[in-house]
Amino acid sequence: MVKNLPVVPTAKAGSLVETPTGITWRVQYPVISEKCNMCLDCTLFCPDGALIQQEGKIELILSLCKGCGICANECKENAIQMVPEYSGVQGVFR
Amino acid sequence: MALSIADLPKEELFGQGNAGCGGCGAAVAGRQAMKALGSRTIMTIPASCMATMGGSNLKTTWQIPFYHTLFEIAPAVSSGIRAALEVQGIEDVNVVSWAGDAGTADIGFQALTGAAERNEHMLHVCYDNEMYMNTGGQTGSQTPMYAVTSNMSKGKTIKKKNMLAIMEAHGIDYVASASIAYPLDLIAKFKKAAEKPGFSYIHILAPCHRGWQIPQEKTIEFARLAVESGLFELYEVEDGLRTRNVEPSFIPVEDYLTPQGRFKNLTPEAIQSIQAGVNRHYGRGE
Amino acid sequence: MNTTLLTGSEAAAYGAKLARIEVIAYYPITPAFPAMERVSKFIDDGELNTRFVRVESDHSALAAALGASLAGSRAFTVTNSQGLLYMTEVVYHTAGLRQPVVMAVANRALSAPHSRFPEQGDAISQGASGWIQLFCENNQEVIDNMVQAFKIAETVRLPVMVNYEGYIQSHTSEEVEIPNQETVDQFLPLNRVRTLDVENPQSVNTVASPDFYMDYKFRQNEAMEQALTVIDSAAADYAKEFGRDWFGLIEAYQMEDAEHAFVAMGSMVSDARIVVDELRKQGRKVGLVKVRSWRPFPAQALREALKNVQLVTVCDKNIVFGLGGALGNELKSALYGQTVRINSYIVGLGGRDVTSEEIKKVLELSEKTENQATASEWFGL
Repeated sequence: MVKNLPVVPTAKAGSLVETPTGITWRVQYPVISEKCNMCLDCTLFCPDGALIQQEGKIELILSLCKGCGICANECKENAIQMVPEYSGVQGVFR
Repeated sequence: MALSIADLPKEELFGQGNAGCGGCGAAVAGRQAMKALGSRTIMTIPASCMATMGGSNLKTTWQIPFYHTLFEIAPAVSSGIRAALEVQGIEDVNVVSWAGDAGTADIGFQALTGAAERNEHMLHVCYDNEMYMNTGGQTGSQTPMYAVTSNMSKGKTIKKKNMLAIMEAHGIDYVASASIAYPLDLIAKFKKAAEKPGFSYIHILAPCHRGWQIPQEKTIEFARLAVESGLFELYEVEDGLRTRNVEPSFIPVEDYLTPQGRFKNLTPEAIQSIQAGVNRHYGRGE
Repeated sequence: MNTTLLTGSEAAAYGAKLARIEVIAYYPITPAFPAMERVSKFIDDGELNTRFVRVESDHSALAAALGASLAGSRAFTVTNSQGLLYMTEVVYHTAGLRQPVVMAVANRALSAPHSRFPEQGDAISQGASGWIQLFCENNQEVIDNMVQAFKIAETVRLPVMVNYEGYIQSHTSEEVEIPNQETVDQFLPLNRVRTLDVENPQSVNTVASPDFYMDYKFRQNEAMEQALTVIDSAAADYAKEFGRDWFGLIEAYQMEDAEHAFVAMGSMVSDARIVVDELRKQGRKVGLVKVRSWRPFPAQALREALKNVQLVTVCDKNIVFGLGGALGNELKSALYGQTVRINSYIVGLGGRDVTSEEIKKVLELSEKTENQATASEWFGL
């Protein structure tokens, strides 16, 4: 059966957000501590738009995070720690 | 009035769910730029990581009209888009072509210089990772001297072509360099470019950790070291007036170069000569 | 009939004007450039509300026309030979993106050796590109085909090339009736399709995986097959409105009782009409089949038109190296299984003149040739 496709090869705006690429690669993710001073730098340094400002806090959208660690590296307050995605004997540790 | 991050629009017009590598400098550049450009923007991107990571099949990360063009045509396509908008009376749309260093300085240069010479009402952005990363990291005109690439294992023996100077020579409305480590400066420059009636060119240094052989979390850090060492100057040219936007702290170039795997062949003499070049450029004593 | 003297280039330009093109992008090349210059003059004189994108190359010309089309404007470009080959990458791309761009092509021979003279090899080289290709026999057909080209393109959503030969047509004046603008407006209403639209954002040309690519190509070919019908109906509708019938995919002339058929495309067709009329006066049962649509190739229509003849003589102003004449080759595969002798000839390359006398000689030679030794025989060396 031939697929029913748009005439012009196209994709609907923003459709990747629902099925993000790359989350299966993630081996670590950021945890934001109370040291955060809401400078918001990390929201502009994240390549994936996974860190957003919400209700006066920085929120992580885990499904979008690839675990690159830029946020933790850039945080001037040392308020972000990368923690392993898995633990236990078969898990991945830094 | 100085920009603050808190005042930037919350909407994420590019990046969420993108198919780029973790820690991708190009994706950071795209996200920061879209905070300035906004939703009424039509984006054309030629063959590159940036075009590919935007989506595949029926899925895309872009929230604005985006067109993945052929490798060497993005500024020409954008010229046609602008012409169509004009004839249809649509005035409030930013038309942007956005290419890597190959799509800008090498295979894409002809269409770029054509559109710039015509002073088309559009913006061209070069996100420069200094090598052909979408095909695995070969040498191009934007690869700096000494850098080792997948097809030059001993390092490049000639200098990087100065695209900013070339674009400045077109006499276009606006030319600026920008860095993903200085997002507010970058965003301010995009806002400025969007206001211009003619052609603008913004050249962003956007490290690729794979090509540069640095840890992925250090993408922003190395973009910053490039600026702070004085190797990548942040400036803009407006109405023929050149302004430096960030005064470097002049860390030794060695601190930027030697941690990068691609510069593993650098000799002390080479480092010295690069440092001397920086000193000369900024009029500093040896 | 109210006629004006127009060159093929001018006819193409008037056709574009009648279609109310919104964006033109071009890079000058000989012999196509007078068509571009004429459109620019229309714009400068305020007769046409069109944006002209003065690109730096043929490659960018089609790229800009494509961009305009994606943004919803009726777009047009003009080129030939080296320019067409230079833009080839964009030619294929435009068809894959299903954009109804129309391009006039003043057919010219390809280098090397360098030639600036007429031949159809440039258009033939694009036979697999996914563009609909119409060939015009005279300048009246150029202007009429320009209008029909936009109709066909926008109906099936595929780009169309309107081919006319360099110099023989592009620089030769003929009497042409310019269709009435109001009637063209009714024939060709603007149904704007914006693929790149800030009000309805989508991503164009996302990477297609093996799961998708083949399906897209199937749909693209399906549109080409749909064009077989649409080209016929556009010609019929046009005939109704404007009183001139170009008969769709092919035209069968003096074919009712013909035993020997001459098959060709482009300017040779108008000369062949004279030959056929003359031979008919001598009582010879000779007819003419004009191939107007080279892509899609009208195999079924040709089978039907040629089912009762004993001999087909086909002339090509092109050479596909290692194969022969392109039309001859296509015709042989179209007529596979039909009992008919087909003789194929390569003529008129790089501007070598093909007059009605030459066509007569080819027909005589063909009647004497039982079995051609090669796929196509060279005539006129």
